[in-house]
Amino acid sequence: MSPIVNWIGLWTLVKREVGRFFAVYRQTILPSLISSALYILIFGFTLQQRISEIGGVPYTLFIIPGLIMMNTLTNASANTSSSMLQMKLLQQLPDILTAPLSSVEISLAYIIGGTVRGLVNGVLVLLLGVILLDMPIQQPVMTLIFIFLVSWAFSSMGLLLGQIADSWDQLAMMQNFFLTPLSFLGGIFYSVKMLPEWAQTLSFVNPIYYMINGIRHTTLGFSDSSPTVSFLMALLLTILFTVLAMILMHSGKKIKQ
Amino acid sequence: MSVPAIHIQGLTKSYDTVQALKGVDITIEEGQFFGLLGPNGAGKTTTINILTGLVLREQGITEIFGRDTVKDYRFTRSQVGIAGQELSVDWFFPIEKLLYFQAGYYGIPKRKARPRVEELLHRLGLSDKRKSRLRQLSGGMKRRYQLAKSLVHDPKILILDEPTAGVDVELRHELWHYLREMHQQGKTILLTTHYIEEAEMLCDRVAIINDGKVITEGTPKELTRRLGRAGITVHLAGWRDDLPDLLRNFTYTHEDGRIHFTVRDPEGEMPEIISTLARHGCHILSVETAKSSLEDVFLSLTGKGINEA
Repeated sequence: MSPIVNWIGLWTLVKREVGRFFAVYRQTILPSLISSALYILIFGFTLQQRISEIGGVPYTLFIIPGLIMMNTLTNASANTSSSMLQMKLLQQLPDILTAPLSSVEISLAYIIGGTVRGLVNGVLVLLLGVILLDMPIQQPVMTLIFIFLVSWAFSSMGLLLGQIADSWDQLAMMQNFFLTPLSFLGGIFYSVKMLPEWAQTLSFVNPIYYMINGIRHTTLGFSDSSPTVSFLMALLLTILFTVLAMILMHSGKKIKQ
Repeated sequence: MSVPAIHIQGLTKSYDTVQALKGVDITIEEGQFFGLLGPNGAGKTTTINILTGLVLREQGITEIFGRDTVKDYRFTRSQVGIAGQELSVDWFFPIEKLLYFQAGYYGIPKRKARPRVEELLHRLGLSDKRKSRLRQLSGGMKRRYQLAKSLVHDPKILILDEPTAGVDVELRHELWHYLREMHQQGKTILLTTHYIEEAEMLCDRVAIINDGKVITEGTPKELTRRLGRAGITVHLAGWRDDLPDLLRNFTYTHEDGRIHFTVRDPEGEMPEIISTLARHGCHILSVETAKSSLEDVFLSLTGKGINEA
């Protein structure tokens, strides 16, 4: 009698996915810390001369939640998308596809791997803020839940993209032309209230705007968007991308012939 | 009657406008060493990839020990170990760890997999390389690692897709030896190959696949007897006018005292030919036999050699 869930198989694949990015931590963990520290130093300390406070907090502190989110979501999505594409291109995928693992188990393992990377990167940038700038965390549990949720959502999105992409070029295009601009336009470095009305309206259709403001609320205690809307948006993206990634995996359309 | 280890019936598969499989039927009994012989592009890899879940099935039946490979994939995949044609490359982990991962995918925890992993590393001469990454191994070692990977969960069925393609003679013989050992231990083996010699030496049953269809099946001996073009050439001191009458029961051609008999079983039919000629006082200078091979079988069925098809 075959088991309903191949727990050992699922756990093994999670270990592989997590072990994979820890094995190359210089590529997957340290850059977030270095780039965030640079953002704090260059953007924060120079712009602080001109923008003293936003929402009652110093500018350098204001940008930290956005940096946390940017690092969380880019790392979470990069982990799953690159791992999936790499396995496709280097003929590693057959090892998993011929094993008694269901499409849900395979998807979950990848998503958990990406979520862990997003979470690790997000929390490290958070700690950087606490250590360098004595950043307050108004709601620590909600902050962690929010980072986790956003990690999961973008890890699932990465899995979707990794399955769809056939080359590194396609993957880079999706990241460079969509994810990075949407992150920057989501209000990492500014409050949307500083923008003209038409630009504010545009920001409202950018899902990353809600992610950044959600964590800004749980840490600094204020945000442009309602915290409930931010949380619901994160939840919606999590469910949407998880379901889409699993449906595509189950169909086998982009990973099987 | 026992349930076959592998049962494939009416299997079809198309890629865009190309029909790769046009109704493949294969049944492999438990314990058999089965060869799927055919030229490149005949449909060998597609057939086994559907069987193992790497390619989506279009129409037909694919069963492992009587269970459907799509509906009952957890059971069927746990029974099969596969060594694919393409070598996978993993940059991140040493091969020992990769073997433990592979066992884990099959639901075997590390502590249970340890004796098996140790045995395979030792048996396949990889113990010293256990901490090496795949990129650090030679081509031959990569092939051996691949075999170890396919055997780590101790499957009842071993599927090997062109296992000796591109390997040197020494390693080929090494792999053959190991495969024979696996077979003696009771494993059912399905081997795809376009090396005639490999199929003849190892397999106790062979199916020839060409252009997406199995065109014949049987033991190598049966096939060569039925479809081979073996012959016996007898060199006489001279041709005699009464010979056509004496040899009327045989199929032959002659030229300058050399008579070439077309026979299915050279060893079985040679005594009768020799005694017929000797009884009638023919002076035999020499006798040569040409044994039929699966290459002849392939040639007689398709009109082309296996490597030119």
